[in-house]
Amino acid sequence: MELSVNGTSYSLDVEEDMPLLWALRDELGITGPKYGCGIAQCGACTVHIDGQAVRSCQMPVGDIGNAEITTIEGLGTPEAMHAVQQAWVDHQVAQCGYCQSGQIMQAAAFLETHPEPSDEDIDRAMSSNLCRCGTYPRIRAAVKTAAAKLQGA
Amino acid sequence: MRILLAAATAMACAAPLWAEGDHGLTIPSLTAEVTPEAGLEAWDRLHEVFTHPRCINCHVGEEAVPLWTTTHGANPGETRPHGMNIHGGDSRVGAEYIDCGTCHVTSTRPNTTPGAPPHAGLDWQLAPLEFQWTGKTPAEICAQVRDPERNGGRDGAGLIEHITHDAEVAGFITWGFTPGAGREPAPGSLQSHLDDTAAWVAAGMPCPGDPLPASAPTEASE
Repeated sequence: MELSVNGTSYSLDVEEDMPLLWALRDELGITGPKYGCGIAQCGACTVHIDGQAVRSCQMPVGDIGNAEITTIEGLGTPEAMHAVQQAWVDHQVAQCGYCQSGQIMQAAAFLETHPEPSDEDIDRAMSSNLCRCGTYPRIRAAVKTAAAKLQGA
Repeated sequence: MRILLAAATAMACAAPLWAEGDHGLTIPSLTAEVTPEAGLEAWDRLHEVFTHPRCINCHVGEEAVPLWTTTHGANPGETRPHGMNIHGGDSRVGAEYIDCGTCHVTSTRPNTTPGAPPHAGLDWQLAPLEFQWTGKTPAEICAQVRDPERNGGRDGAGLIEHITHDAEVAGFITWGFTPGAGREPAPGSLQSHLDDTAAWVAAGMPCPGDPLPASAPTEASE
Protein backbone atom coordinates (compact mmCIF):
# COMPACT_ATOMS: atom_id res chain seq x y z
CA MET A 1 0.00 0.00 0.00
CA GLU A 2 0.96 3.62 -0.41
CA LEU A 3 1.21 6.12 2.43
CA SER A 4 1.96 9.81 2.10
CA VAL A 5 3.89 11.05 5.10
CA ASN A 6 5.29 14.56 5.44
CA GLY A 7 5.00 15.08 1.71
CA THR A 8 6.81 11.89 0.76
CA SER A 9 5.10 8.86 -0.72
CA TYR A 10 6.06 5.47 0.73
CA SER A 11 5.27 1.97 -0.44
CA LEU A 12 4.68 -0.56 2.34
CA ASP A 13 3.99 -4.27 2.42
CA VAL A 14 2.06 -4.57 5.69
CA GLU A 15 -1.24 -5.90 6.98
CA GLU A 16 -4.10 -3.46 6.50
CA ASP A 17 -5.02 -3.55 10.18
CA MET A 18 -1.52 -2.56 11.31
CA PRO A 19 -1.79 0.61 13.42
CA LEU A 20 -0.30 3.63 11.72
CA LEU A 21 2.07 4.14 14.65
CA TRP A 22 3.66 0.75 14.00
CA ALA A 23 4.00 1.52 10.31
CA LEU A 24 5.60 4.89 10.98
CA ARG A 25 8.07 3.73 13.60
CA ASP A 26 8.91 0.15 12.60
CA GLU A 27 8.49 0.26 8.84
CA LEU A 28 9.41 3.82 7.92
CA GLY A 29 11.75 4.74 10.76
CA ILE A 30 9.76 7.88 11.58
CA THR A 31 10.09 7.84 15.36
CA GLY A 32 8.79 11.25 16.40
CA PRO A 33 5.38 9.80 17.27
CA LYS A 34 5.83 7.84 20.49
CA TYR A 35 4.30 4.63 21.79
CA GLY A 36 2.78 5.32 25.19
CA CYS A 37 -0.25 3.15 25.85
CA GLY A 38 -1.39 1.71 22.53
CA ILE A 39 -5.07 2.39 23.32
CA ALA A 40 -5.47 6.16 22.75
CA GLN A 41 -5.34 6.93 26.44
CA CYS A 42 -2.21 9.08 26.48
CA GLY A 43 -1.80 11.00 23.21
CA ALA A 44 1.93 10.41 22.76
CA CYS A 45 1.36 8.99 19.28
CA THR A 46 -0.63 11.93 17.91
CA VAL A 47 -0.13 12.80 14.24
CA HIS A 48 -2.21 14.77 11.74
CA ILE A 49 -4.27 13.08 9.07
CA ASP A 50 -5.43 15.70 6.60
CA GLY A 51 -4.85 18.25 9.34
CA GLN A 52 -6.84 16.55 12.08
CA ALA A 53 -5.14 15.28 15.18
CA VAL A 54 -5.42 11.49 15.33
CA ARG A 55 -4.01 8.92 17.72
CA SER A 56 -1.90 6.90 15.33
CA CYS A 57 -1.99 3.84 17.59
CA GLN A 58 -5.69 3.50 16.75
CA MET A 59 -5.59 4.17 13.03
CA PRO A 60 -5.41 1.08 10.80
CA VAL A 61 -3.15 1.90 7.86
CA GLY A 62 -5.67 0.27 5.53
CA ASP A 63 -8.24 2.95 6.39
CA ILE A 64 -6.07 5.96 5.59
CA GLY A 65 -6.34 5.90 1.82
CA ASN A 66 -4.86 8.93 0.11
CA ALA A 67 -4.95 11.18 3.15
CA GLU A 68 -1.81 13.16 3.98
CA ILE A 69 -0.11 12.19 7.20
CA THR A 70 1.98 14.73 9.07
CA THR A 71 4.22 13.82 11.98
CA ILE A 72 6.27 16.07 14.23
CA GLU A 73 9.11 15.67 11.71
CA GLY A 74 6.96 17.37 9.08
CA LEU A 75 5.50 20.14 11.22
CA GLY A 76 8.55 22.37 11.18
CA THR A 77 12.32 22.25 10.96
CA PRO A 78 15.02 23.39 13.38
CA GLU A 79 15.58 26.32 11.07
CA ALA A 80 11.90 27.14 10.59
CA MET A 81 9.96 25.87 13.57
CA HIS A 82 6.18 25.83 13.75
CA ALA A 83 4.84 28.46 16.18
CA VAL A 84 3.92 25.73 18.66
CA GLN A 85 7.41 24.24 18.52
CA GLN A 86 8.96 27.67 19.05
CA ALA A 87 6.65 28.33 22.00
CA TRP A 88 7.69 24.95 23.45
CA VAL A 89 11.29 26.12 23.34
CA ASP A 90 10.51 29.58 24.65
CA HIS A 91 8.61 28.20 27.64
CA GLN A 92 10.99 25.27 28.11
CA VAL A 93 7.93 23.07 28.36
CA ALA A 94 9.55 19.67 28.15
CA GLN A 95 10.86 17.92 31.20
CA CYS A 96 11.48 14.32 30.11
CA GLY A 97 10.00 15.19 26.69
CA TYR A 98 8.45 11.84 25.92
CA CYS A 99 4.96 13.27 25.42
CA GLN A 100 5.88 16.49 23.69
CA SER A 101 5.62 15.24 20.11
CA GLY A 102 2.00 14.32 20.74
CA GLN A 103 1.34 17.46 22.76
CA ILE A 104 2.70 19.70 20.00
CA MET A 105 0.78 17.91 17.26
CA GLN A 106 -2.44 18.13 19.27
CA ALA A 107 -1.90 21.84 19.98
CA ALA A 108 -1.00 22.65 16.37
CA ALA A 109 -4.15 21.01 15.03
CA PHE A 110 -6.27 22.71 17.68
CA LEU A 111 -4.91 26.19 16.90
CA GLU A 112 -5.65 25.74 13.20
CA THR A 113 -9.35 25.88 14.00
CA HIS A 114 -9.29 27.80 17.30
CA PRO A 115 -7.04 30.81 16.83
CA GLU A 116 -8.01 32.59 20.07
CA PRO A 117 -8.58 29.89 22.68
CA SER A 118 -9.40 30.59 26.31
CA ASP A 119 -7.64 28.73 29.10
CA GLU A 120 -10.69 26.48 29.40
CA ASP A 121 -10.61 25.77 25.67
CA ILE A 122 -6.94 24.83 25.89
CA ASP A 123 -7.49 22.62 28.92
CA ARG A 124 -10.32 20.78 27.20
CA ALA A 125 -8.39 20.39 23.97
CA MET A 126 -5.22 19.17 25.66
CA SER A 127 -6.66 17.09 28.52
CA SER A 128 -6.33 13.79 26.72
CA ASN A 129 -2.61 14.30 26.14
CA LEU A 130 -0.98 13.13 29.33
CA CYS A 131 2.28 14.47 30.75
CA ARG A 132 3.60 12.35 33.59
CA CYS A 133 6.08 15.09 34.50
CA GLY A 134 3.13 17.41 35.16
CA THR A 135 4.16 20.26 32.88
CA TYR A 136 0.56 21.24 32.24
CA PRO A 137 0.92 24.92 33.30
CA ARG A 138 3.80 25.34 30.84
CA ILE A 139 1.84 23.51 28.12
CA ARG A 140 -1.09 25.91 28.58
CA ALA A 141 1.22 28.94 28.53
CA ALA A 142 3.01 27.73 25.40
CA VAL A 143 -0.27 27.12 23.57
CA LYS A 144 -1.39 30.67 24.43
CA THR A 145 1.92 32.07 23.20
CA ALA A 146 1.71 30.07 19.98
CA ALA A 147 -1.88 31.26 19.43
CA ALA A 148 -0.76 34.88 19.78
CA LYS A 149 2.15 34.33 17.41
CA LEU A 150 -0.07 32.69 14.82
CA GLN A 151 -2.40 35.69 15.13
CA GLY A 152 0.53 37.95 14.33
CA ALA A 153 0.85 39.49 17.79
CA MET B 1 -29.06 5.36 20.77
CA ARG B 2 -25.49 5.76 20.09
CA ILE B 3 -27.73 4.62 18.00
CA LEU B 4 -27.73 0.88 17.76
CA LEU B 5 -28.48 -2.47 16.31
CA ALA B 6 -26.27 -5.22 14.93
CA ALA B 7 -25.59 -7.82 12.35
CA ALA B 8 -24.34 -9.75 15.22
CA THR B 9 -22.29 -12.29 13.47
CA ALA B 10 -20.44 -10.30 10.90
CA MET B 11 -18.59 -7.91 13.18
CA ALA B 12 -17.73 -10.32 15.92
CA CYS B 13 -14.58 -12.37 15.64
CA ALA B 14 -12.13 -11.94 12.89
CA ALA B 15 -14.44 -10.73 10.17
CA PRO B 16 -12.44 -8.56 7.82
CA LEU B 17 -14.04 -5.44 6.44
CA TRP B 18 -17.73 -4.76 6.74
CA ALA B 19 -19.50 -5.41 3.45
CA GLU B 20 -20.83 -1.94 2.80
CA GLY B 21 -24.31 -1.90 1.29
CA ASP B 22 -25.23 -5.32 2.62
CA HIS B 23 -27.37 -5.03 5.74
CA GLY B 24 -28.01 -8.77 5.99
CA LEU B 25 -31.32 -8.24 7.76
CA THR B 26 -34.75 -9.66 7.14
CA ILE B 27 -37.16 -6.76 6.74
CA PRO B 28 -40.29 -7.36 8.79
CA SER B 29 -43.77 -6.24 7.77
CA LEU B 30 -45.06 -2.93 9.02
CA THR B 31 -48.64 -3.88 8.28
CA ALA B 32 -48.87 -7.02 10.39
CA GLU B 33 -51.71 -7.29 12.90
CA VAL B 34 -50.12 -6.30 16.20
CA THR B 35 -52.24 -5.51 19.25
CA PRO B 36 -51.48 -2.44 21.33
CA GLU B 37 -50.50 -4.74 24.18
CA ALA B 38 -47.98 -6.56 21.99
CA GLY B 39 -46.81 -3.19 20.69
CA LEU B 40 -46.16 -2.01 24.25
CA GLU B 41 -44.23 -5.20 24.96
CA ALA B 42 -42.11 -4.48 21.91
CA TRP B 43 -41.62 -0.93 23.16
CA ASP B 44 -40.39 -2.25 26.52
CA ARG B 45 -37.70 -4.23 24.70
CA LEU B 46 -36.79 -1.20 22.59
CA HIS B 47 -36.51 0.88 25.76
CA GLU B 48 -34.23 -1.72 27.27
CA VAL B 49 -31.95 -1.30 24.26
CA PHE B 50 -32.13 2.49 24.17
CA THR B 51 -31.20 2.81 27.83
CA HIS B 52 -28.40 0.26 27.71
CA PRO B 53 -24.99 1.91 28.22
CA ARG B 54 -23.94 1.08 24.64
CA CYS B 55 -26.73 3.40 23.48
CA ILE B 56 -27.66 5.96 26.09
CA ASN B 57 -24.09 6.95 26.98
CA CYS B 58 -23.93 9.20 23.93
CA HIS B 59 -27.57 10.36 24.10
CA VAL B 60 -26.77 13.00 26.70
CA GLY B 61 -28.16 16.49 27.16
CA GLU B 62 -26.86 20.03 26.81
CA GLU B 63 -23.91 19.30 29.08
CA ALA B 64 -22.51 17.40 26.06
CA VAL B 65 -20.34 15.18 28.23
CA PRO B 66 -20.55 11.57 27.06
CA LEU B 67 -20.75 8.81 29.66
CA TRP B 68 -18.56 5.84 30.30
CA THR B 69 -19.72 2.57 31.77
CA THR B 70 -16.71 0.66 32.94
CA THR B 71 -16.08 -2.88 31.79
CA HIS B 72 -12.99 -3.59 33.85
CA GLY B 73 -11.53 -2.30 37.09
CA ALA B 74 -12.80 -2.20 40.63
CA ASN B 75 -16.41 -1.31 39.81
CA PRO B 76 -17.43 -2.88 36.51
CA GLY B 77 -20.76 -1.54 35.34
CA GLU B 78 -20.28 1.83 37.01
CA THR B 79 -21.31 4.80 34.84
CA ARG B 80 -19.48 8.09 35.08
CA PRO B 81 -18.55 11.03 32.86
CA HIS B 82 -16.18 10.26 30.00
CA GLY B 83 -12.61 10.62 31.16
CA MET B 84 -10.05 13.10 29.81
CA ASN B 85 -12.27 16.18 30.34
CA ILE B 86 -14.04 15.37 27.09
CA HIS B 87 -16.76 17.78 25.98
CA GLY B 88 -18.77 17.31 22.80
CA GLY B 89 -19.58 21.02 22.49
CA ASP B 90 -22.55 22.44 20.60
CA SER B 91 -21.22 20.62 17.53
CA ARG B 92 -21.80 17.30 19.35
CA VAL B 93 -18.62 16.01 17.67
CA GLY B 94 -16.13 17.82 19.89
CA ALA B 95 -15.12 20.28 17.19
CA GLU B 96 -14.82 23.08 19.76
CA TYR B 97 -12.09 21.28 21.72
CA ILE B 98 -11.01 17.84 20.58
CA ASP B 99 -12.81 15.93 17.88
CA CYS B 100 -14.33 12.61 18.87
CA GLY B 101 -12.53 11.27 15.80
CA THR B 102 -9.12 12.01 17.28
CA CYS B 103 -9.42 8.80 19.29
CA HIS B 104 -12.58 7.13 17.94
CA VAL B 105 -11.38 6.59 14.40
CA THR B 106 -13.85 5.79 11.64
CA SER B 107 -13.38 2.18 10.62
CA THR B 108 -15.52 -0.83 9.80
CA ARG B 109 -12.94 -3.20 11.23
CA PRO B 110 -13.95 -5.19 14.31
CA ASN B 111 -13.32 -3.72 17.76
CA THR B 112 -10.83 -6.10 19.29
CA THR B 113 -8.60 -4.19 21.72
CA PRO B 114 -9.75 -4.03 25.35
CA GLY B 115 -9.58 -0.51 26.73
CA ALA B 116 -9.24 1.13 23.34
CA PRO B 117 -11.80 3.67 22.19
CA PRO B 118 -14.52 1.94 20.18
CA HIS B 119 -14.99 2.75 16.53
CA ALA B 120 -17.68 2.31 13.90
CA GLY B 121 -18.18 2.93 10.23
CA LEU B 122 -19.60 6.39 10.93
CA ASP B 123 -17.76 9.37 12.40
CA TRP B 124 -18.09 9.13 16.17
CA GLN B 125 -20.40 11.75 17.70
CA LEU B 126 -22.98 12.49 20.35
CA ALA B 127 -26.57 11.97 19.33
CA PRO B 128 -28.35 15.24 18.46
CA LEU B 129 -29.64 17.13 21.46
CA GLU B 130 -33.28 16.44 20.60
CA PHE B 131 -32.45 12.73 20.96
CA GLN B 132 -31.43 13.13 24.61
CA TRP B 133 -32.45 10.05 26.57
CA THR B 134 -30.60 10.55 29.85
CA GLY B 135 -32.91 11.57 32.68
CA LYS B 136 -36.05 10.72 30.71
CA THR B 137 -38.85 8.32 31.60
CA PRO B 138 -39.79 5.48 29.24
CA ALA B 139 -42.91 7.42 28.23
CA GLU B 140 -40.84 10.51 27.44
CA ILE B 141 -38.34 8.58 25.34
CA CYS B 142 -41.18 6.81 23.55
CA ALA B 143 -42.84 10.12 22.74
CA GLN B 144 -39.54 11.37 21.32
CA VAL B 145 -38.97 8.33 19.15
CA ARG B 146 -42.40 8.48 17.52
CA ASP B 147 -42.29 12.24 16.97
CA PRO B 148 -40.77 13.16 13.58
CA GLU B 149 -39.92 16.58 15.05
CA ARG B 150 -37.61 14.84 17.50
CA ASN B 151 -36.51 11.68 15.72
CA GLY B 152 -34.84 13.07 12.64
CA GLY B 153 -38.02 13.43 10.59
CA ARG B 154 -38.75 9.70 10.45
CA ASP B 155 -42.07 7.94 10.16
CA GLY B 156 -42.37 4.21 10.85
CA ALA B 157 -40.78 3.23 7.57
CA GLY B 158 -38.07 5.81 8.21
CA LEU B 159 -37.24 4.19 11.55
CA ILE B 160 -36.84 0.84 9.80
CA GLU B 161 -34.66 2.40 7.12
CA HIS B 162 -32.59 4.06 9.84
CA ILE B 163 -31.72 0.63 11.18
CA THR B 164 -31.06 -1.06 7.85
CA HIS B 165 -28.92 1.83 6.66
CA ASP B 166 -26.95 1.67 9.87
CA ALA B 167 -26.29 -2.00 9.23
CA GLU B 168 -25.07 -1.20 5.73
CA VAL B 169 -22.46 1.24 7.03
CA ALA B 170 -21.58 -0.58 10.28
CA GLY B 171 -22.89 2.39 12.22
CA PHE B 172 -23.60 2.99 15.87
CA ILE B 173 -26.72 0.86 16.15
CA THR B 174 -24.84 -2.06 14.68
CA TRP B 175 -21.90 -1.39 16.97
CA GLY B 176 -24.17 -1.37 20.04
CA PHE B 177 -24.99 -5.05 19.54
CA THR B 178 -21.42 -6.05 18.68
CA PRO B 179 -19.23 -3.63 20.64
CA GLY B 180 -16.39 -6.12 20.99
CA ALA B 181 -13.33 -5.87 23.21
CA GLY B 182 -15.12 -7.19 26.30
CA ARG B 183 -17.91 -4.63 26.32
CA GLU B 184 -21.40 -5.84 27.18
CA PRO B 185 -23.58 -5.63 24.08
CA ALA B 186 -27.06 -4.16 24.07
CA PRO B 187 -29.71 -6.83 24.74
CA GLY B 188 -30.86 -8.91 21.79
CA SER B 189 -29.56 -8.58 18.27
CA LEU B 190 -29.84 -6.13 15.44
CA GLN B 191 -32.46 -8.37 13.85
CA SER B 192 -34.53 -8.62 17.04
CA HIS B 193 -34.29 -4.85 17.45
CA LEU B 194 -35.50 -4.40 13.90
CA ASP B 195 -38.33 -6.86 14.53
CA ASP B 196 -39.36 -5.05 17.73
CA THR B 197 -39.28 -1.71 15.95
CA ALA B 198 -41.50 -3.07 13.19
CA ALA B 199 -43.94 -4.60 15.69
CA TRP B 200 -44.12 -1.33 17.62
CA VAL B 201 -44.71 0.63 14.41
CA ALA B 202 -47.34 -1.85 13.19
CA ALA B 203 -49.14 -1.50 16.53
CA GLY B 204 -49.37 2.25 15.99
CA MET B 205 -46.33 3.24 18.06
CA PRO B 206 -48.02 2.90 21.45
CA CYS B 207 -46.32 4.53 24.43
CA PRO B 208 -46.68 3.87 28.15
CA GLY B 209 -49.49 6.00 29.53
CA ASP B 210 -51.32 6.34 26.23
CA PRO B 211 -55.09 6.13 26.59
CA LEU B 212 -56.15 2.58 25.93
CA PRO B 213 -58.02 2.13 22.66
CA ALA B 214 -61.70 1.42 22.98
CA SER B 215 -62.27 -2.33 23.17
CA ALA B 216 -64.16 -4.00 20.40
CA PRO B 217 -67.63 -4.88 21.61
CA THR B 218 -68.03 -8.51 22.57
CA GLU B 219 -71.10 -10.68 22.08
CA ALA B 220 -71.67 -10.76 25.80
CA SER B 221 -71.83 -6.97 26.00
CA GLU B 222 -74.14 -6.54 23.07
